Amino acid sequence: MTGDNLTGGYQDTGPAPGDVDLDRVWLGVAAQVWRRQPGSAERAAGRLLRSPGLARALVTTPSLLLGWVIATVVILLAGIGFTLGTGTPWVALLAPAVAAAGIAYAYGPGIDPAWELSQSMAVSDRMVLLTRALAVFGLNAALGLAASAASGAAAAVTFGWLVPMTAVCALALAAATVTRSPNVGVAAGSAGWVIAILAGQAAEGRSTAAITDSFLVLPYLAFAACCGAVVLFATRIPRGTS
Amino acid sequence: MNVELTELTRKFGRTQAVAGVTLQAGPGVFGLLGPNGAGKTSLLRMMATVLPPTSGTLRLLGRDPGGYVPRREIRRRLGYLPQNLGYYPGFTVTDFVEYFALLKDMPPMQVPRAVAAAIEQVGLGDRARAKLRTLSGGMLRRVGIAQAIVNEPELLLLDEPTAGLDPEQRVVFRALLREFGQRATVIVSTHLVEDVGAACSEVTLMDAGRIVFHGTPDELIARGVGHGVGDAPLERGYSAVLAAARS
Amino acid sequence: MDDDALIAAVARRDDTALRELFSRHAPWLAARLRGVLPAAEVEDVLQETFLAVWRGAAGYRPQGSAGGWLWGIARRQAALWLRRRGPAELLLPALLAADGRNPGDPAEAALSRAELARAVSALGPEGGAARETWRLMYVEDKSVAEVAELMGVSAGTVKSRAHRARRLMRAALRHHEPVREGGGR
Repeated sequence: MTGDNLTGGYQDTGPAPGDVDLDRVWLGVAAQVWRRQPGSAERAAGRLLRSPGLARALVTTPSLLLGWVIATVVILLAGIGFTLGTGTPWVALLAPAVAAAGIAYAYGPGIDPAWELSQSMAVSDRMVLLTRALAVFGLNAALGLAASAASGAAAAVTFGWLVPMTAVCALALAAATVTRSPNVGVAAGSAGWVIAILAGQAAEGRSTAAITDSFLVLPYLAFAACCGAVVLFATRIPRGTS
Repeated sequence: MNVELTELTRKFGRTQAVAGVTLQAGPGVFGLLGPNGAGKTSLLRMMATVLPPTSGTLRLLGRDPGGYVPRREIRRRLGYLPQNLGYYPGFTVTDFVEYFALLKDMPPMQVPRAVAAAIEQVGLGDRARAKLRTLSGGMLRRVGIAQAIVNEPELLLLDEPTAGLDPEQRVVFRALLREFGQRATVIVSTHLVEDVGAACSEVTLMDAGRIVFHGTPDELIARGVGHGVGDAPLERGYSAVLAAARS
Repeated sequence: MDDDALIAAVARRDDTALRELFSRHAPWLAARLRGVLPAAEVEDVLQETFLAVWRGAAGYRPQGSAGGWLWGIARRQAALWLRRRGPAELLLPALLAADGRNPGDPAEAALSRAELARAVSALGPEGGAARETWRLMYVEDKSVAEVAELMGVSAGTVKSRAHRARRLMRAALRHHEPVREGGGR
């Protein structure tokens, strides 16, 4: 069959017609082939937040990835075990530190290698930070409450740690944002919480003093507000120029 | 005018990075030349709405970036390639470009096609689904350019875009710049004088936070005739203007 | 990499292989589709064709020709498109092209006509030996002796040219066989 060029029979039809834009055709193919299909969580978040960009930013949060959530659950399960075994409310003592670590790894200049670029986006870095931090906080609060309830803690303890948890998370976020390092945030949050527990123990002889003393609620909240202000200042955006 | 700067300054502590820049730019490709530390990056960052000016006025695409709503509108039409762009190593090229297309508030229906077009325009069509950690420095730079152009920006700011590109890619890239310059204002900061000659319709030369020259590449060449040191006519113009500004 | 290896890579979800397959085969597919469809529709059909290739590459069996397989898919997409359009302005030329006879399916008729034209062109340029022999013998229905006299060659040469023309046509038409999408499934 050689010599008759039979095998090349289909290729001798020459170049594409001039009025057909093959580049455009390929882009249509590539758009379908390369596109990423958003998962159900991302689609739901997109509807809820009314912004596909914010939803995409949310589902890529490091401390919302499956591995992180599983680690959180494992720690809280261990806390339940210790609580039931020793009578000390370990869940309440652990939960704020775990949440603070999650918050520090939610978003910030230390997490986002393209932070400079992210700052120039229409969906602002602050919105991303706020959305991610709230989602991480909500998840950790829910997990912590479930763990606390499962460990049979008193209601005062179960709900008591939510307020200090807020303060510790705010501290972690502020430290991570200002120093541009999530690890510093985790360290600051954990250290702050340990100091609060030890101070409570020294003053009243109970490790749960930092959780259950109701007169501490206002100082905790004031402290959280200060840390929030620090975060806002650190991520401040261009002021008016005219 | 897409860009209007009036007496713009920026201080970092006691350092005056930008010391009173007045500049107007419509569509076209504008080269921003100058030695390291001349204030090019600070100027671009102010135009990219990531750095507030210390004083002076700044209008971008006919809007004041000081207010939340106009700033958001500017950012939708902005393309920005920072000098040091970090990458998400686990993302693919498509993931990365798509992520920023979404953060630029593009209509989601348009995103897949715009992402494909941007990736093909920077010549990464055969790496579209490769993880960023597997790419070379020049390829990463092109990924950065792809995210900058994905929304067909009206204002395109590129800080040292040709760093890491090989000569052949630079030629392709300059053609891309000229194409965008037909419709958009493209401002390219570079220290490579030959990029300016090949792609730019106007050149702005900065030194010590100030503009020391603004004109066409040919006008810059004319400044170097007879004096100035360098291998190419543009380089001689560049060095002559700098020497005159510093004397 | 040959076409078979490329299609196998496409079946493994390798988009760079699809890209290479596109750059090799889209031009001639576009040219052939352009014979029956307006330019804008060629782009739509071609896009659907390569998306179908992306989805259906796993069904490809290398014993056929890659070009024939691709054309089979493109042909199906074109026929789908023509049928969707109904007997509008685009089917009219297709109907006329069927020479007034009543074809079962005008879309099929138009495509078959385009394929036949391509197969004829495989015989070489108009006026060339193979093409002219084919025209005289099969279109004008002349005998071997008449053709030999008209072309000034021996009857044996005419026979061997006719044989070669049939072989070329058969081969060209084989590429057009509407291989079912997904091949051997």
